[in-house]
Amino acid sequence: MEYSKLTDKEKALLDSLRDAIVVIDTEAAKEAAQKIIDAQIDPRVALKHSIAEAAELVGAKFDCGELFLPHLVMVGDLMEEVGTILEKDIPPDQIQKKKVIVIATVQGDMHSIGKNIVSTMLRSSGFIIHDMGVDVPSTAIIQKAKEVKAEMIALSSLLTTTMPYQKEVIDDLVSMRLRDQFKVMVGGGPVTRQYAESIGADGYGKDAIEALEEAKRLLL
Amino acid sequence: MTRLSFWEILKRSKEGPMVEEKDFDLLIFKKTQELQKKYGIKYEPDKPVDMDGDLADRVYQAGFELFLDLGTYCTTTKRIIKVTAEELRSEIDSCPVEVILGQGTDRVKMTHREVEGNQEAIVIAGIQTAPFSDEEMMFKIYKGCAMGGSVDGIWGGILLKIDGQYDVVAGAPSEIYQYKKTAEILRKAVAAAGRPGMITINNAPTSPATVAMFDETLGLRRSDYMEVTGMSEMKVAYDDLNRTAFALAHGVTIHGTHSSVIGGFSATPEGAAIVSVAGSLQLIAVQKAESFRCGAVESRVKSRATRRNLWAAGTAIQGISRNTRLIVDGSMGDHPGAGPGTKQYLYESATGHVISTVMGAHSTEGTRKFVVGNVCNFGTPLESNWMGEVCKGAVGMTRETASHLVKYLLAKYEAHLTNPPEGETFEELFDQETLKPLPHYQDLYEEVKEELRSQGLKFSS
Repeated sequence: MEYSKLTDKEKALLDSLRDAIVVIDTEAAKEAAQKIIDAQIDPRVALKHSIAEAAELVGAKFDCGELFLPHLVMVGDLMEEVGTILEKDIPPDQIQKKKVIVIATVQGDMHSIGKNIVSTMLRSSGFIIHDMGVDVPSTAIIQKAKEVKAEMIALSSLLTTTMPYQKEVIDDLVSMRLRDQFKVMVGGGPVTRQYAESIGADGYGKDAIEALEEAKRLLL
Repeated sequence: MTRLSFWEILKRSKEGPMVEEKDFDLLIFKKTQELQKKYGIKYEPDKPVDMDGDLADRVYQAGFELFLDLGTYCTTTKRIIKVTAEELRSEIDSCPVEVILGQGTDRVKMTHREVEGNQEAIVIAGIQTAPFSDEEMMFKIYKGCAMGGSVDGIWGGILLKIDGQYDVVAGAPSEIYQYKKTAEILRKAVAAAGRPGMITINNAPTSPATVAMFDETLGLRRSDYMEVTGMSEMKVAYDDLNRTAFALAHGVTIHGTHSSVIGGFSATPEGAAIVSVAGSLQLIAVQKAESFRCGAVESRVKSRATRRNLWAAGTAIQGISRNTRLIVDGSMGDHPGAGPGTKQYLYESATGHVISTVMGAHSTEGTRKFVVGNVCNFGTPLESNWMGEVCKGAVGMTRETASHLVKYLLAKYEAHLTNPPEGETFEELFDQETLKPLPHYQDLYEEVKEELRSQGLKFSS
């Protein structure tokens, strides 16, 4: 089923789901998702349009300062709930596999704000995120990435003296012959694109919006 | 009245309710939204300097209530540390109203300051936690900072290499060694400037390296302060509490710092003002601070002098100054978006430090461009001196005059905050032999100083 072939009433249902997510109305969103199922609209179309459009709108509102970090967290939660409703009748082999990202602030660094914003933006844009928190050693990050079969490792560092730990993760991946298995994206206050390139990172984001675009470029 | 034992706090960190960090974060948001409505707290962009003491009082009450309701999240134990209202009031009433810092003729008294008060504003400037190319350059720049007559102390920075070739890495042995070396250089630099008893401060990423800097002969002294950090927002880790434990055992004054995040879980400027108060109360109740920085930071804009930031932190400081006898540090404007050698750096710095001083705070968190990355020597003694001149000049200023001045300055730089001028390094701005600014920078400094003098800032010279 294609979006262009839906009736106006069916399209309005998809719009109502998108709008309910954007305003974080949990009940309305779940109700709209159920109505989409009841109306026998292909849930994959709803996932593609309602959820994806909601993610874009929420990202834009965050970008212009209309929404804040807690809103992104709540939108992420709501998208997962709605996604579960929509996906329950889709055969497992037809569910589009979401890309998995392990994210952490590197060892010795307790700063979480930037990492949290990137993590939440990625999650509300449909990535599966394993946020390991702050002060995480290289070996633990790699172990987690292997365990959850991640496609990407995202590393944050706010201190000049913790930047070498970003390089350590990449060096460890090389030593363990795992470098080809994971894309590595780096960021944080003192980190620059030149530094990212110099340590062999695949991607760099100077802020959350750029990190999201970089993740999409590398994984989608 | 007595202060709650630090060991009781540690006990509570192991026995308090266990909560998921994400749930705690969302609670900050939900509760501040409720309190914002309950206390009728409203940010008005055209009033970046709050002149309504009643609003500041409500921000204080909301912050007090928030801290009692939520407590502090310990990221090490994943538990909440809570105190009762009675314990918190006792804690506030038992905090000192003055602390003595520094030694000999360089000794200063840091007291509780009133809003628009005439009490001296203590200024600890210096190029805070920025990287330096080598020991000689670090010595030169800090000596220059210590020679600035308007500052009472200086913050240290970091060296990125040992022997010019081995990386200094946080949490590794190199961090301990190199931070101790920087503390030695700092002490030698202030002595060479003729101010051997001057306050010197530094804070390493980890507690072992921070503790390693304390050395009465060649390092940080008991008469300096130990900075303890409250993680944003309303959190603490055992690594932070290690600093408190050392300071208590060693007899060092404890100075706390915490920032709410506009756009973070505080969300709005109103939420950030409330969380700034709550975070400050955390610093005294949980981390045993005797003075503290009450701050806010933007999640998206890399400057400590945005309009929203100025209002949020300024109103929170005013609320604490009006409702307690605590010793508050503001240091607003400490991290401009613009780089050294630009008018915008001086404008941003002045805006924040004027509000900070007028609202009843000291400014002891040093200064540097918000993001310096790994560019070395990205700061000069002139920005450090500017911070001191502005703070001392703003003592006794009314909020009305401050409001006029701040609006004037915001009009100068606000449109450039997202794309600020990069600035220049020490080598490009200073004569390295005489430690004096090159003529073009000295002229720029004097021009801005005259401009601000004409707008009501009373510089002492």
